[in-house]
Amino acid sequence: MNKRNILRVAAVAAGFTLIAAACGDSGSGNNAADTTTTAGSTDTVAAVQQGGLLQAVQDRGTLNCGVSGSAVAFSETQPDGTTTGIDADFCRAVAAVVLGDANAVNFVALTASARFTAVQTGQVDVLMRNTTWTQSRDSDVGMDFGPTTYYDGQQLMARESDGFSADSTIADIAGATVCTNAGTTTEKNIAETAKVNGVDINLQTYEDYDIVMTNFLSGACNIITTDGSGLVGRKAKQQPDGENWVIFPATPISKEPLGPTYGQNDSQWADAINWTVYASIIFDEQGVTSANVDEMVANPPSPEIGRLLGGDGELQTAMGLSPDAFQNMVRAVGNYDEIYTRNLGPVGLKRAGSANARWTEGGLMFAPPAR
Amino acid sequence: MTEPTSPNVTAGGRVQLARPKEPYIPPREWIRDNLFSTPFNSILTVLFTALVFVMTRGMLGFIFGHDRRWEAPATNLRFLMTQAYPDEQYIRVWFTFGWILALAGLSLAAWNAAPRVGYRNLARKAASVGVAVALIGLVAPAMSTSGRLQYVLIGAIPMAAGIIALKILDNHDTRDMSAFVVQVLVVAGIILSLWTVPYGQHTFVDGAARVDSGTVAQSTKLPLTIMLLVIIAAFYVGRTIRPHFKQLKAVLGGIWLLSPFILTTLVLRDPAFDSGHLLSTDIPIGLAFALGGGAILWLLSSAKAGETGRIAAAIILVLAFASFLTPMRMIVRIDALMLAGAALSSATFAGSREARLRFVGGWMGAIVIVNWLVTATNTPSTVFGLPTGTFYGGGLTLTLIITSFTLIFAFPLGVTMALARTSKMPIFRVMSTAYIETIRGIPLITVFIFFAIMLPLLLPDGMEVAKIPAIVIGYVLFSSAYLAENVRGGLQSIGRGQHEAAEALGLTTAQKTLMITLPQALRVSIPPLVGQAIGTFKESSLVLIVGLFDLLFIARNVIPNTSGFLGAQREPLMVASFIYWAGSYSMSKASQRVERKLGLGER
Repeated sequence: MNKRNILRVAAVAAGFTLIAAACGDSGSGNNAADTTTTAGSTDTVAAVQQGGLLQAVQDRGTLNCGVSGSAVAFSETQPDGTTTGIDADFCRAVAAVVLGDANAVNFVALTASARFTAVQTGQVDVLMRNTTWTQSRDSDVGMDFGPTTYYDGQQLMARESDGFSADSTIADIAGATVCTNAGTTTEKNIAETAKVNGVDINLQTYEDYDIVMTNFLSGACNIITTDGSGLVGRKAKQQPDGENWVIFPATPISKEPLGPTYGQNDSQWADAINWTVYASIIFDEQGVTSANVDEMVANPPSPEIGRLLGGDGELQTAMGLSPDAFQNMVRAVGNYDEIYTRNLGPVGLKRAGSANARWTEGGLMFAPPAR
Repeated sequence: MTEPTSPNVTAGGRVQLARPKEPYIPPREWIRDNLFSTPFNSILTVLFTALVFVMTRGMLGFIFGHDRRWEAPATNLRFLMTQAYPDEQYIRVWFTFGWILALAGLSLAAWNAAPRVGYRNLARKAASVGVAVALIGLVAPAMSTSGRLQYVLIGAIPMAAGIIALKILDNHDTRDMSAFVVQVLVVAGIILSLWTVPYGQHTFVDGAARVDSGTVAQSTKLPLTIMLLVIIAAFYVGRTIRPHFKQLKAVLGGIWLLSPFILTTLVLRDPAFDSGHLLSTDIPIGLAFALGGGAILWLLSSAKAGETGRIAAAIILVLAFASFLTPMRMIVRIDALMLAGAALSSATFAGSREARLRFVGGWMGAIVIVNWLVTATNTPSTVFGLPTGTFYGGGLTLTLIITSFTLIFAFPLGVTMALARTSKMPIFRVMSTAYIETIRGIPLITVFIFFAIMLPLLLPDGMEVAKIPAIVIGYVLFSSAYLAENVRGGLQSIGRGQHEAAEALGLTTAQKTLMITLPQALRVSIPPLVGQAIGTFKESSLVLIVGLFDLLFIARNVIPNTSGFLGAQREPLMVASFIYWAGSYSMSKASQRVERKLGLGER
């Protein structure tokens, strides 16, 4: 090889190294393919594995919240693209607590089958997707569950003219055609309940609930069954004039506690979400609303409220949140009662007397003390 | 019209035999000959007329039923089209639509593709449309008398015009006009009615649906009017420049092919996307490799490079592998590996100046494509939305984006697979057969779930693929397997003689394939290929399984589950199915025209 050729090889190699070095520099120190823009999600994946999702979300500046996007009163996608409903409002509440901005939410619509994978891959930080808290999900699937935001339960709906009333029981449905959507726990529950009670029913299942409703309206189904909240919503909106639909039995045939769901083994993140829900319940208990929050900050009715709103001795900073985190929350989305009334009121779901009433009024809405 | 063209000579200068003129048959004779020729035929005619009547009446009863909630699709129309694209940025959506219409207008003129429609035919069509409209008024169940009268009166106008025109025109009248003009006039009439007829205004304000009387909203009728003007203007511009601009067709073809990339990257992207990172990092890296790498390859492909060149290429290869050991952007590593591959093969391209220029040009093109793909799939919110799956335009837009990208990428891949499967080399044949048969054995839903949910779990740390690109990758792999089989069918229909003739002329295998077999095979495969394209368009609705808001998902699941339109499922579904039908039907119409032009099925 002569000298000229060696020089040429050197020049080519040097040029190449230069390009690689120039590009490598800007990416050094971070193995991510794209430091600035994908950092958020890359960190999320890492965070799910090692904890520290709270910091990752705060660095990113937006909360990725998994919702259904097509569940009446829980998370509806409106014609202008906004997401409304009780689940959507709890997403906003978490964003207000963690980020100080209730609008810093990126709603991710998830199907039932994709929801847990979405948490595991870090696609979403938290699920507010009317997900029932069960043993297998809590252990086997690798989820952790926050405090229940809505106690639901499977019930049945029939026409009064068919001889049913609100006092009817499972024993009364013998021989009836019961319709529900296929492949859900709803289907399994009604079949099991009928078997346990020794009644024969004709169970018909359909692909989605709108088809079930169409068949109920046309009379092809005597009885339909799904979660109570869904039945009340349908009754409020779709009951024709001159018909009276009744919902029974008074004690639902299944327990469906719905609440926030997140990846397991991240206590700090879990605390932030759990206390968002607890704070909304405590504010409801003690009468702090989005309307009177300024007054309450100036003149707190109890030391507990004072601490939660960011006064003396508050505990929020120890949680990695800003002192006024819960104050931002109640200012932006209100307390539990406000969230409930705003979203579930219009579809006819009454809070008083239900499992979702305050614990002082016989319900199950109870929060540990904030101290 | 103004151009003196001989009917027997096509644009390519080839002589084509004129079709024999169909003789004029008076309607009464036609009916007697075709519908009541035998007693059995008469019974069938009566039976099927009754059946059609009952079905039409049922359909009309559904459409005009008093409990129909057409306000659901009307209020959600924008949602169905583009999901939640921000209001203040909506001009981007209209720009995209206008771009496509402008290209369509120019292409119609460039290819002189608008068919011509005879005066008599036109009169007949007008009369039948009038009869159909009048029949709606007469047949529909449950309609007010004034409503019926309205339909009959509106239908009477084109009916009378058509019948009078038929009376005036000679039975053998041969005059005709461009179908484009007719279509534009019809659409103009519809748009004019938007300005004048009080259809009602459906809006969604402060979380509630509202219906106001009056004509449709300004934000609907004004852009639509502009769109009509755009396509007319584009058509006449195209006609004016066609004689002076020889490469017009090639240029337009190129723009059509690039449009999905340009539109999704620059126009329909997240309006709030900060392009700082793109400008400071992604584009410089691409440029450095395109230019720097081009220079290196230019040197290495020199005839004098010899031994030195091979050593340099080996060093580049070592460096490219070494880049995986140090922290570095993935795109740099990919580009470096590509450069090493090109450098190693540079000796093959050594030779004339032209060959070397082509080599370097090919390198630059490849770098641009690869860098675009990596940026598009890997960078959130540039093109396809966030990795979380949120896209700034769902609905029909998403359906069309998935369909067009899938078709663009699946076609070359499928043709390659078909060629590999018919290849004489066992390694290619076996690999391609294994690929095609594996993919064809997997349901599309499984492919979607795998690519949307499993793929992110399998990727190495630091690599990400957004949901929509992941879906498109899976769909391309799936479609190309089916496409390959369609093309293979075409390839096998080419007679042995064609191969032998090509070999006798001394053509190489590549020339033989590209110039003799493939063009003929593709021509034969047009009907199944179009069937495949229609299938791809409709089956894209399966993305609902991974939670993407495409047209069907919004119509079927989202709208009926808002408290404002609870249970209103059939109306949006009907609108969605009409849109699917319109898309599929226009594709099949276009293919019929291409088939006729190529004389398919006539020889």
